[in-house]
Amino acid sequence: MMAETTQLELVTPAKIMVQKAAEMVVAPGVEGLFGVLPRHAPMLADLARGVIEVHENGKIVNRYMIDGGLADVTPKSITILAERAEDLNAADAADLNVRADNASEAEAEFLRAVAASL
Amino acid sequence: MPSLKDLKTRINSVKSTQKITSAMKMVAAAKLRRAQEAAEQGRPYSDRMSQIIGSLAANSDGVHGPALLVGNGKSDKHLLVVISADRGLCGGFNGSITRLTRTEVSRLQAAGKTVNLLMVGRKSADALRRELGKLYIDRLEGIQGTNVSFADAYSIGATIKNGFEAGEFDVCTVIYNKFVSAITQEVTLTRLIPAEVESGKELAVDGATANYDYEPEEDELLASLLPRNISTQLYKAILESSASELAARMTAMDNATRNAGDLIDRLTLVYNRSRQATITKELIEIISGAEAV
Repeated sequence: MMAETTQLELVTPAKIMVQKAAEMVVAPGVEGLFGVLPRHAPMLADLARGVIEVHENGKIVNRYMIDGGLADVTPKSITILAERAEDLNAADAADLNVRADNASEAEAEFLRAVAASL
Repeated sequence: MPSLKDLKTRINSVKSTQKITSAMKMVAAAKLRRAQEAAEQGRPYSDRMSQIIGSLAANSDGVHGPALLVGNGKSDKHLLVVISADRGLCGGFNGSITRLTRTEVSRLQAAGKTVNLLMVGRKSADALRRELGKLYIDRLEGIQGTNVSFADAYSIGATIKNGFEAGEFDVCTVIYNKFVSAITQEVTLTRLIPAEVESGKELAVDGATANYDYEPEEDELLASLLPRNISTQLYKAILESSASELAARMTAMDNATRNAGDLIDRLTLVYNRSRQATITKELIEIISGAEAV
């Protein structure tokens, strides 16, 4: 039987990036990481710069990095509004390291950490 | 009566104008598709953003709250952000923006308010420079077309937010062309500060707005959300305006191409008639010359 899922939507100003069902979504809140399962209590959360993880069958299937944003959680869905988002499945560690060299200090540190985790 | 040679030159010149307008029309049509997609794909983000703000605002009493949401209690100084095109030849696009700006400025000034203008796009800024130039606080160019980035909107948003916090104005409004369809654009006024709140919309599927958890606290969340909302609304306005500009240009150039076609037909008719008249005249001369012999 298919496990219960919550509907994930990742929206940027340019387009709707992701629309899919997920078993669990982990998002980087300003007060720490939080996981969202189906039937989560309604919540609005401010997001910090970090990585969103999408879990399916107990494994991480997609990772997206965002530069801060907003999460709107309902029992059936999680909608994330982010000004900038990138799919890490399509990202390249070498490319991220190059970008880190040109970025501001805090951003560079984050980009290197992401690159190292790829 | 112009000579045959004059007519020929005239027809050729109209023909080359027609080639230019029809090329411009096709370029605009190709770009429009992309710009329209960008505008339509940008809508979910700004719609959700205003929904969330709306539901957050519904919980506040409209007096106490972040100044960006409820205003600073005054409305003496106004800032109008006017978004027009950098280029002309797009029908009434820039004209209608300019006209609305002029009416809005005189309406506010008649009510005793101070008005400042932030001009995005060259055309309206040029058109109004003589009468309203001293009200400009900034002129921006090159922010349109198919490659508008959120960073541009973000930097304008930051300027507006800083100006508001420094007390340079109390109310901020954007004037732009909203894209309705390829043949209709709507000149729109949207208030940015205090935030325009759509009431009556429920955020959650369950409608349980009051039971929302906030992380961090509600007012902190609002404080970080509202500046973001300004950039978002601006970004949306610029995208809509770009799509409208291309649509307006496409329609205008289509009309121009058709008019040029009509003109060519008319001129060709005159050309043929006068050619025929010349031939007839020459024949009559020959015949009457032959009869005289």
